Formats: sequence, C-alpha cells, structure tokens
Amino acid sequence: MESTSLAEQQRVLASDWGGGKSPFGTSWSKFMMWIFIISDALTFAGFLIAYGFMRRVAVAWPVQMDIFSPVLITFMTFVLISSSAVMAMAVSAARSGDPKSATRFLGLTILGGAIFLGCQAYEWYHFISEGATLTHNPWGVPQFAASFFVITGFHGFHVFSGLTILAIVALRAAMGKYSGEGVENAGLYWHFVDVVWVFVFAFYYLM
Amino acid sequence: MTTHEHAHPTGYRQYFMTWIWLLVMTMTALIIGYFHFLPEGVKAAMLVGITLAKIFLIGSIFMHLKTEKINLVMLTFSPLLLSIVLFFFTFGETLKDPTHEIQNVSPTFVMPTGEVKEHK
Repeated sequence: MESTSLAEQQRVLASDWGGGKSPFGTSWSKFMMWIFIISDALTFAGFLIAYGFMRRVAVAWPVQMDIFSPVLITFMTFVLISSSAVMAMAVSAARSGDPKSATRFLGLTILGGAIFLGCQAYEWYHFISEGATLTHNPWGVPQFAASFFVITGFHGFHVFSGLTILAIVALRAAMGKYSGEGVENAGLYWHFVDVVWVFVFAFYYLM
Repeated sequence: MTTHEHAHPTGYRQYFMTWIWLLVMTMTALIIGYFHFLPEGVKAAMLVGITLAKIFLIGSIFMHLKTEKINLVMLTFSPLLLSIVLFFFTFGETLKDPTHEIQNVSPTFVMPTGEVKEHK
C-alpha cells in the first residue's frame, strides 16, 4: 500500500505538473506572450461576434465589395502574410546566431507592416471622406461603419504597436544586443496580428 | 557550424512553402467572396474552413506550435472554444426570431416601481 503511494508520488513529481519546471515547456517570457495573445484573441473574438450579431439583425447590410476596393484589401492581406513569413525567417536566423540575416529579415517585416498601415490609412481616408463616421454610414445601417472603424482600428493599432516592438528588436539585433527568444516573442505577437487579419479579411470583407 | 548551415535552408524552405500555401488560400477565399450565386450558409462555411486552415498553418509552422508541448497547444484552443460558446449565446437569439431588427424605435419599459418610462 505504502509502496504504491510512493510510486504514485514519484509519478506525479516526474510529470509536467509535479513542480520545479514549466508545465508548458517554455520560458516565462514566451509563456506570458502566449497568455497575452490568448487574452487579446478573446477581445477580437468579442468584436467579431458582436459585428456578426449586428449584421444578422440589421435590416440590410451594404455589399462590402461595392464600397471597398477588393484589390487593395487583397494586396494588404498579401503584404501582411508575406511579412509574417519573413518574420518566421528572422526568428530562425536569430535562433541560429546569425544577427545579420535576422536584422535584414526584421527590416523587411517592418517594411511590410508599414506598407500595410499606409494602405489602411488610405482606406480610412476614403471611407471618412465619403461621409462615414462612428454613428453614420452613407450606405445604410450605421453599424456597418461603426464595426469597420472599431475592428480595423483596433487591428491597425496592434500593427502600429507591433512595428514599434519590431523596430526596437531590430535595433537591438543590429547592435548585437539580442536574444533568439526576444526575437521569437516579438515574432509570436506579429504572427498573431496576421491571424487576426485573416479573420477580419474573411468575416468583414468577404462574407 | 555545419548544423547551422544545414538548419537554415531547410527552415526557410518550409516557411517559403507555408507562405505560398497561405497566398493560394487567400486567393481562393477572395474568389469564393465573389460567388454570389452560392447560398449564404455554404459560402460562410467555405470561408470559415479556409480561415481555420490558414490559422492552423500560421499557428503550427510560423508560431512553432507543431514543436511545442501539447499543454501549450491545448491552451491556445481556449479562445476558439470560448468564441464558439459566445457565438451560440448571441446568434441563438437571431435564429429564433429573424424579424428582430436594429431600429431606432423607442419602446416603453416598466420600472420596478411600476412607473412606465419611455426611451428617448
């Protein structure tokens, strides 16, 4: 009886949850980045579901493709996905101790993010100049413009924050003051920004 | 050093292939967006399917979830599960009563004191 409980105790201690090590197999900083991403994903889930609900109960919803430029939106999506792919390469380079390539890839990622943000500013400028505000939409229900500003605005703010973080990481990498993990954490955030856009692209613009 | 030299091209190749797949799926989603002849439900299901496939690729390859411990991978499913719960909480109402509309009508309501008030 006693030996069984001892064996059980040893089994628990040797398991992931026995204490003394990370049950998730990550460092604290990476784990905290994941916790942040998960909580932030819930924020965007709330936005997108609220948008879906408003759209479903609205009398009529404008045809998005008539209002937005599908070419611009697809281009923005391409740019963001490409910057995400380059970011993955930056992480790979940083992990294998190649600061030169890491800095170069980080620079390309920043360039992609900046182009995306520029396109978004252009889109907002047109949308506003045609009379859309948070409470008014020239093509029908005001919820259309409100959800556009809130969802793309929050996402754009995330892109801007990501660019700031990446600029700091790239500068540090250029100076040789970087760690593979630091670049990886910034990368995780950047990929998350891409994930959110994939949802926005499908649910807000295409559906 | 040799390991590094070998590790780079293999890793880059995988990221490059993932990138190509993501672009192909984006184009497919765009084309489906133009399929106005499709019933709304079918179109929505196809777009959700493509979106989930893209998320799966980004998560497993770019965010390295493929090589992470299952404990962390399971944690990342929590927002998706909670979103499904939230979806059925909110959309259940619209499915039951499709005539329920957002409009600027001011209905009256009764206060706990019995007083009848009107929204302004």
